[in-house]
Amino acid sequence: MAEGEIHALIGENGAGKSTCLGLLNGVHKPTLGEIYINGERVIIDSTGHAQSLGISCVFQELSLASKLSVAENIYAGRAPTRFGIVNWKELNKKAQNLLNEFGLDIDVSQSVDSLPISTRQIIEIAKAISLDSKILLLDEPTSALTPDEVQALFKVLKKLAASGIGIVYVSHHMSEIFEISDKISVLRDGTKIATYDTNKITKNQVISDMIGSDISHNIQIKNPKIGDTIFELKNYSQDGIFEDIHFELKRGEILGLAGLLGSKRSEIVRSSIGLINGAIGETYIDGKVIKITSLRHAIKLGIGFVPEERKTEGLFLDFSVGDNLSVASLEQHSNMGIVQKKSIHSATEKAIEEFSVKTQGTDVAIGQLSGGNQQKIMLAKWLERRPKILIIEEPTKGVDIGAKFQIHEVLRQYASEGMAIIIISSDLPEIISLSTNIIAIHEGKITGKLSANETTEDNLMQLMAGTMNTSSTASASTQV
Amino acid sequence: MPNSQSDLTSLKNKSKLQRILSAFVDVRELMLIVLIALIIIVMAIQNPYFFSISNFRAVAVGMAPTAVIVIGMAILLASGGFDLSVGSVMALSSTVVAMLLLDGFSIPTAVIFGLFIGAAVGLVNGLLVTGLGINPLIATLGTLSITRGIALVLTEGFSLSSLPSAFGWIGKASFFNFPVIVLLVLALVIVFDLAVRHTRFFRQIYFIGANEKAAMLSGIDVKKITILAYVLTGTLASLAGILLASRLMSGTPTAGNGIELQVLAAAVIGGASLRGGEGTILGAFLGVVFVALINNSMTMLAVSIYWQMIIIGAVLVVAVALDMLLRSDSRLKTTKN
Repeated sequence: MAEGEIHALIGENGAGKSTCLGLLNGVHKPTLGEIYINGERVIIDSTGHAQSLGISCVFQELSLASKLSVAENIYAGRAPTRFGIVNWKELNKKAQNLLNEFGLDIDVSQSVDSLPISTRQIIEIAKAISLDSKILLLDEPTSALTPDEVQALFKVLKKLAASGIGIVYVSHHMSEIFEISDKISVLRDGTKIATYDTNKITKNQVISDMIGSDISHNIQIKNPKIGDTIFELKNYSQDGIFEDIHFELKRGEILGLAGLLGSKRSEIVRSSIGLINGAIGETYIDGKVIKITSLRHAIKLGIGFVPEERKTEGLFLDFSVGDNLSVASLEQHSNMGIVQKKSIHSATEKAIEEFSVKTQGTDVAIGQLSGGNQQKIMLAKWLERRPKILIIEEPTKGVDIGAKFQIHEVLRQYASEGMAIIIISSDLPEIISLSTNIIAIHEGKITGKLSANETTEDNLMQLMAGTMNTSSTASASTQV
Repeated sequence: MPNSQSDLTSLKNKSKLQRILSAFVDVRELMLIVLIALIIIVMAIQNPYFFSISNFRAVAVGMAPTAVIVIGMAILLASGGFDLSVGSVMALSSTVVAMLLLDGFSIPTAVIFGLFIGAAVGLVNGLLVTGLGINPLIATLGTLSITRGIALVLTEGFSLSSLPSAFGWIGKASFFNFPVIVLLVLALVIVFDLAVRHTRFFRQIYFIGANEKAAMLSGIDVKKITILAYVLTGTLASLAGILLASRLMSGTPTAGNGIELQVLAAAVIGGASLRGGEGTILGAFLGVVFVALINNSMTMLAVSIYWQMIIIGAVLVVAVALDMLLRSDSRLKTTKN
């Protein structure tokens, strides 16, 4: 990478983009390979070290202290002082000048939490620049920005590049990358596929590199028995998050919701089962309008929900496999309020066998199991309840190929027995091979509805990225 | 219990020292029983009066209020919360019951109303924590001060004595030489220990304490159960206050001052943790017995009351430090993966 160059890294979720930045920033350590700066080999062992080498990083998650002022945040730990006392006047002046360069006209003495997320993002970048960085790493910097703000940011980035700063720009927004970058490197499954000069390459080439056109394990379900509509959202909207969502889910159907980071597909689903309040619109279950007020209400109505974050939202890592399996179905395993350990034990053994979970027993803490085995138990926990509708976020996130295959098989099996399943997945081959029908979502709106056999990774990716124009969306959309 | 399982399975990852220690400490209750036996043996040799029925009786009766409250505290700690207002609730209940008795109300009426006060304070604590999302430290620090203040305002700071003699029965009566108050405490400990191990309601508390978000996403009614845990703790605290009033035959607005810290220390020594998700009632009760015996022994050995404070503090820190050391690597593993 050269001085003043904007180099984009692009790839699907899990392709290794963020890890790659972590390597450069000293958060992760390489197991193999070398990093060179100005021709000199360096070993980056901490974020502080990376900064002293002139590398700064802005991550997806904001890292500002929300109660402190804008100026304090930018110069955190480096405020100008006089006799050890912070020189507020000087500090605010420096911060104001810096932000003016970004075209941001705000009062630098106000606290960060009074500002919108987009402004905080720019402050975060300003902070990185203020460290005299020669290399700036940006991880999905626009995921929370409006188009105008993106343009403002791009202006700043181009100015920075012109002044000789090298920028690594990680994103999966195709149009942004083509607008801002000089070079594009495509990553897939942790491997670099290719590097191109941006002006010599087409979006389609990049997309097929991202998804790996050779992947074609589309094992289709034989004669799926699709029944009546069991779940439907109509005119479903939430201010500023998603609007006018409409879809139907039928018995025996696996409905895939596809969308990129920031598409709000999770928010739609979580709202519909009472986890997020404030959405308007109608929810139908078995044809009846039902206002779902809480997740507990949804569960009583026969809905199961497997969340995305296994470790923070799904499991009790210090607790046993049996505890984790039975937590959502303690009623079934209780008699007059007394938990029947035998009943839990036999249910757990059954699940371990059905999913071929590798564990030394039902009493082992689930944190000791591999990701794939944890995921299987998390899924089995809900299947225990025999829900009519099962909603799964990222069914195979961080799971090895073998476990992935087994989870897919189990889901197909339950669907063929009449369970209605919604999956949210960032894994395009997965969503295409598993779903009966697919809904593409871009920035809180449905951009297309496809049936499994007319979906290709190419057209789905374009719908998800919002790059397919409306006329082609209309032709791709069919009755679901 | 979940915690001991994770320790067992990670045995092979531990150093030899940690392995030996964890084999010893894995069952916290067992460790405490051994330590308690050790204290008794050493002290019996040192001081013949220590090993007498009258001394054990005095220790058992003296620790009764703490033992009643620690049941609620252990449950709250398992749910990831805790309650600093228990000492104040003791005081308010004991004074209100005394006032009602002096006003001529019957003993059952007064006692039920006294228990109701504890439940009400617990409800307020629970609502502040779950409804408004106030940190339990702050919420119960507030109710600690308010409740104690009410007790002092109602009595203008004076103790209320000359209670009807029948009220003193439970505090003084014996059954085959066992103080009834001690039998009541043991019964409560056994009932709650079994309930916490085996009932669905209390099992849910561990899930809430271990991972509140995952518990909510598993369909557990986190708010309702958390509120009920605070109500239970408040009710037990007022029971402790009433038992104390019965024994002393007076309602005292300064009763239970600072007892919350003793209770917390005993519960933690007994295997509970501020992280939540672990601990048993039996363990917490043994923690109370252990601390009470150490205090008693030091008094017998004529150690000054000031030194007793220092030693109890050191015991608490050592117990927790040992615990952290023993599980440090399994913790790291589960958070890093």
